[in-house]
Parts: sequence; C-alpha cells; structure tokens
Amino acid sequence: MSATNEAAIAERVTAALVRARVEIAASLPDSWLSALIARIEAEPKIKHVRVTREDDGAGICAGASLGGKRAVLVCQNAGLLLSANALAGYAHHHQLPFLILAVYRGTHEDRFYYQMYKGLVTEPLLRGIGVPYHVADRPEDLDIVEDAIRESELARKPVVLLMRHAALTGGAS
Amino acid sequence: MRRSAAAKLFVERLAPDDIVVCGLGSTGRAWREQNAPHLTYWASDPMGMAPSLALGLALARPERRIVLLEGDGDLLMNLGVLVTIAGAAPTNLRAAVFINDRYETGGGQPLPNARAIGFAQLAAGAGWRWTGEAHDETQAPRLVSGLLEVEGPGFLALHVEAEASPYPTDPGPTSQAEDRTIFQRRLAGGR
Repeated sequence: MSATNEAAIAERVTAALVRARVEIAASLPDSWLSALIARIEAEPKIKHVRVTREDDGAGICAGASLGGKRAVLVCQNAGLLLSANALAGYAHHHQLPFLILAVYRGTHEDRFYYQMYKGLVTEPLLRGIGVPYHVADRPEDLDIVEDAIRESELARKPVVLLMRHAALTGGAS
Repeated sequence: MRRSAAAKLFVERLAPDDIVVCGLGSTGRAWREQNAPHLTYWASDPMGMAPSLALGLALARPERRIVLLEGDGDLLMNLGVLVTIAGAAPTNLRAAVFINDRYETGGGQPLPNARAIGFAQLAAGAGWRWTGEAHDETQAPRLVSGLLEVEGPGFLALHVEAEASPYPTDPGPTSQAEDRTIFQRRLAGGR
C-alpha cells in the first residue's frame, strides 16, 4: 500500500504545481522523494533539471523566477543546510521568490542515526536566515503548495515546505 | 589580454537582444565599465551562484540567448554546476570564464592550483557541447565569435592579465532588489 499511497500523493502534489503554473523543477534525490521526483520527471508541463548540489537548484529557481517563470526545488533538508548562503541571498538581497519542497529527515520518523542532526538544526537555520517555512505532517497538509507559492511571491522570498515521511506516504512505513 | 579587451570582444559581437549574466568581482566590473546596451543581470552575491542562475534564466527564456560572463574563482566555488548545465543542455546558454588565476577582488590571492587548471577540459569532461580556450588576444576574437555562433551550451576559457580591481568605494545608485526590478521590467519590454 505504501507505494500506492506515495504515487497518489506525488500525483496530488504535482497537480498542485501544475495548477500553480510551475514550469521548472530542480531536484536532488532522497529515498523519501522517489515517487515525487519520478512524477515530476514524467510531467510534460514541467521542465525537470537534475542538479549536483542543492544550491545549484536554488540558483536555477532564482534564475527562472528572474525570467518570469515559477519554479520549485525538490530536495532533502540537508540541501537547505548546504544552501544557506544562497537562500539568504535570494531572500534578502535579490528578493526572488520560489518554492522549496524538502523532506524533513532526522526527526521521530527517521530510522537512521546519521540523519538526526539535520532534524535538530533545520528549523533554527531557516529562522536564522529569515526564510519562511511550513511543516507538512500529513498528506492533506501538502495542499498548502499553491498558497506557499503565492506567499513566496507576496514576500519576494523563497518559501520552504518541510515534508514529513507521513505526509509523503499517508503514514505507511 | 587585458580584462577590458576581453569584455569589449563581447560588446562588439553580441546581438542587441542577447542577455548577459555576470558573476561577481572583476569580471562583472569589466563588463560594467563597457557601458554596453545589453540587458544585464549582476548575479552577485552569493559567490558561485551565477552559473546556476544563468541556467534557470536560460530555461525560463528559451527565445533569448543568455551569455554568462564568469570569473575563475567564482566558478571554482561549484564545479558541479558544469555537469548540471551539461545535463540540462540549454541550447541558448553560452559561458565565458575570465581566467586570471587569482581572487582579484579579495586582494589578488592565487587560486588553488593556479595556472594548472584546465577549465575548458573540465567543461568538456562535464559534457558541454562546445568548448574552447583562448590564451591571448590573437586567439580570442575568433573564439568569442565561435562561442556565439555554435549551438549551446558553449564554454570558452579566456585567459586575461591579472590587474587590480578593488572594491567600488560608493554604495551604487540602486540596491540588488531594485536592479532585479529594473531588469525584469526591461525583460518584459519596458524601459
């Protein structure tokens, strides 16, 4: 059932991105993101770019935004830690909006000790660099995607949606 | 070749509707000193982000040719972006890297492994469709023309002299966010 749930949730998120007229997506994989990245790759209305580092993805989204197109970065929360300088620069210096969908590794849902430090520092980092964020605990929380895109444009900043495992799977493990 | 001469080669060859994206430091200042009429976005700071921003702009505006003028120190911040760009393969993106082998704005300190880095080879190995390398002013004009004529993504390594390029002493007339607004207005066809 897990794969079915993940596919349905990936479909729901991708449909929201398309409704919001997101045309460019950049991604770096995480095992929790397999279904979503596969669905975005298959979406003909979205140009999908695979990146080598998450800050490349932030730059791509910023450039797309500069060019008048909506864009999304899909990555793990480690990518937010790596991209702190880029995100702060685009939030406060350039003031370019885009959405980041980041899986929230390193909390109670995780099974791997090496992920845990990320759970401790992700939200303090985002608060510290002044990048707005929301946490999706359940699949229905992902319905905030279109509102988060609008929020980013109103605020002229990237906005992050931290996605828990249960949000991407419906609670299946 | 002086940095200003390298920048001038682009002023003379770019089409009126080409868009320039500049990395940080002396390369960007060399382009600014040309007072070129071309729509330009100065992508600095953050350091190292100009190539990926240029890629995003190229994907968003496939009808426009995007020319990235980049410094060697800036590119070294993230060589992985060469692979990302090659993978995305935007036919409308060209990159020229001004190579002076040092961090000019920061005080002229040498790059790691300065004078031994093969930037064109790195781009070729990453999978760029076209790469070239101009060692001096006798080679540069032909290769800049070649860069602009080929289908992208194209990458040109341009060796330039090390010349001091200190920080500007005034704060400038506009903020980055104001520059961004002006750029977007011109991109949309306004003045």
